[in-house]
Amino acid sequence: MSEAVVTEHAEPILRLRGVGRRFGGLHAVRDVDLDVAHGERRAILGPNGAGKTTLFNVISGDFPATSGSIHFLGQDVTGVAARHRAKLGMGRTYQKTRLFHGLSVEDNLYLAVLGVKQGHLRPVVVPKQDEELRGRARELIASVHLGGRESTLVGNLSHGEQRQLEIGMARASDPKLMMLDEPASGLSRGERVALTDLLLGLDPSITLILIEHDMDVALRVAQRVTMMHDGRVIVEGTPDEIRANQTVHDLYLGRGHQADG
Amino acid sequence: MRRLPALTVDRGIGGLVLVFAVVAPFLVPQFWTANLLTQTLILGIVAASLIFLSAYGGMVSLAQVSIYGIAGFVVGNLTTNGNTKGLNLGWNPWWGVVLGIVIATIVAILFGALSSRSTGIYFLMITLTFAVIANYFFGQVTDLSGFGGISGIPAPKQIGPVDAHPWRLYYVCFGVALVLYALMRYVVRTPFGISLQGVRDDPVRMSSLGYNVRLHRTIAFAFGGFVAACGGVLFVWWNQHIDPASIQLSAVIDVLVIAVIGGLFRLEAAWLGAFVFVVLNNYVQRLGFWSLSTRFGTVIGLVFLAIVILSPGGLMGIWERLLSLAGRRRSQTPTAQAPLESGTVEPSV
Ligand SMILES: Nc1ncnc2c1ncn2[C@@H]1O[C@H](COP(=O)(O)OP(=O)(O)OP(=O)(O)O)[C@@H](O)[C@H]1O
Ligand SMILES: [Mg+2]
Repeated sequence: MSEAVVTEHAEPILRLRGVGRRFGGLHAVRDVDLDVAHGERRAILGPNGAGKTTLFNVISGDFPATSGSIHFLGQDVTGVAARHRAKLGMGRTYQKTRLFHGLSVEDNLYLAVLGVKQGHLRPVVVPKQDEELRGRARELIASVHLGGRESTLVGNLSHGEQRQLEIGMARASDPKLMMLDEPASGLSRGERVALTDLLLGLDPSITLILIEHDMDVALRVAQRVTMMHDGRVIVEGTPDEIRANQTVHDLYLGRGHQADG
Repeated sequence: MRRLPALTVDRGIGGLVLVFAVVAPFLVPQFWTANLLTQTLILGIVAASLIFLSAYGGMVSLAQVSIYGIAGFVVGNLTTNGNTKGLNLGWNPWWGVVLGIVIATIVAILFGALSSRSTGIYFLMITLTFAVIANYFFGQVTDLSGFGGISGIPAPKQIGPVDAHPWRLYYVCFGVALVLYALMRYVVRTPFGISLQGVRDDPVRMSSLGYNVRLHRTIAFAFGGFVAACGGVLFVWWNQHIDPASIQLSAVIDVLVIAVIGGLFRLEAAWLGAFVFVVLNNYVQRLGFWSLSTRFGTVIGLVFLAIVILSPGGLMGIWERLLSLAGRRRSQTPTAQAPLESGTVEPSV
């Protein structure tokens, strides 16, 4: 399945070579090679503390890599600031929601839409321009099923609603690569189904990398799976290969199922 | 639903305060307008610049008084003529206005850039350092001031002489405060202002959305500096004198106290806090008993403590709580149990 996509663009959209990230003496991510093709849906699995979130931070530029190189769309972005990577077409969500709690739902998405555009410092209201941005923000609100909550302060949203907004924030910039860090965490069963549908319905040209403990969500959405442990990539393959893999079972599935209840 | 009447009451009170401010010179003794109310307006402007940065940018700056002082010293140096310290350039006071504000704002850009990496207590400490440096600078660079300071600073002839026409300066201060207040209210709803609130709530998220957080903080600081600088110009016209003691640490703390008494989360609080501070300051000094006159610091300290303990949102916070209590009582019968807007079921992670 993924081969078909790969042939369209010979170059992967994202290429990591020997990427590492240390926190003092702790090697949170070490020597990771990763190729993600255009339009691919990739899941990253691994037990707690495996380094999945750190890998996201290194890719998005929140933390610089301490070793290795990262290419995005054929361009070396290893030393490029997070805000420039966003403008190149990366969008992400956070495992622990990072929203603007003092602002309304609409303002949150307004900021997410404005982020990759010009005019961050504009100190005047230009009705035509702002209405365009707000129109886009309201579309996003509808797309993540938060219609009617436009003027609610984000701090007053329920946990599930905040998770939905997280995804809206990542979509707002029309990213070419979208990285979702455990979007299903803390959601009810029904909400998970809705989330899976939402992910399956994403524009196929968007490349998606998904960290997810919930196997039902991860293996339904993903075409390929990367398994991490102790900061390293230990297995990579299709969902079927991953299901069949003994190491994965030993390391993760048993534990994962326990953790998920 | 509950917010509507509260908002109306709020606006109503705001309107009454404005009307009072306009007619005050005809109602209250001249001492009040010329001294207490004018000083309230000026201190309110500086405190408002602090509240703006804190409420919308998450930056509690202790440098606002220094920036206000820099504007004041520039005006003093440029516009005095003859027998005082400083450069005594004798320029037209209007040039003093322009250059005072421009130079102070440029310094604010510099301060802002230097502190834009820091948040929380580190930001507080860096801006405190600016305050200390500015204080020593004007004390030690005797060409510009020295400890004695600059005296006889004139207001433009359209406004002054201030002693002869105290009302004029009062109305100028009122007008400037009103314009700056409206400007700050406006700015927070522009792309710049909304982004600034994003930076306040989560700078990391802002970077990953594509924003230059440090630049944003720097520009916001410069804007806060501009507001404070306007206050500085008015201050030297009103006081006709400025010296390093005007921007020493205790002055910095006074403005911080004003902002906290009023409430750090709302711009209007700046003038409320300033009014309480100025009136207390004046009347405590006139009271004879318990030698309170020499213990203003203790009195204001106790008031400060009481307010902070009662309400972290200052007097404005107490006011808002009263409003929402009253609002709740009014709407109690039909929809009493629906104060939470959102679903209350929050699955924990
Ligand atoms: N900012 C940081 N400073 C220091 N150590 C960190 C930091 N972020 C992560 N770590 C450490 O790096 C390791 C990997 O953490 P990471 O959050 O990437 O794991 P994860 O795979 O996302 O785990 P989880 O499934 O719990 O989210 C952990 O040991 C963690 O304590
Ligand atoms: Mg994680």
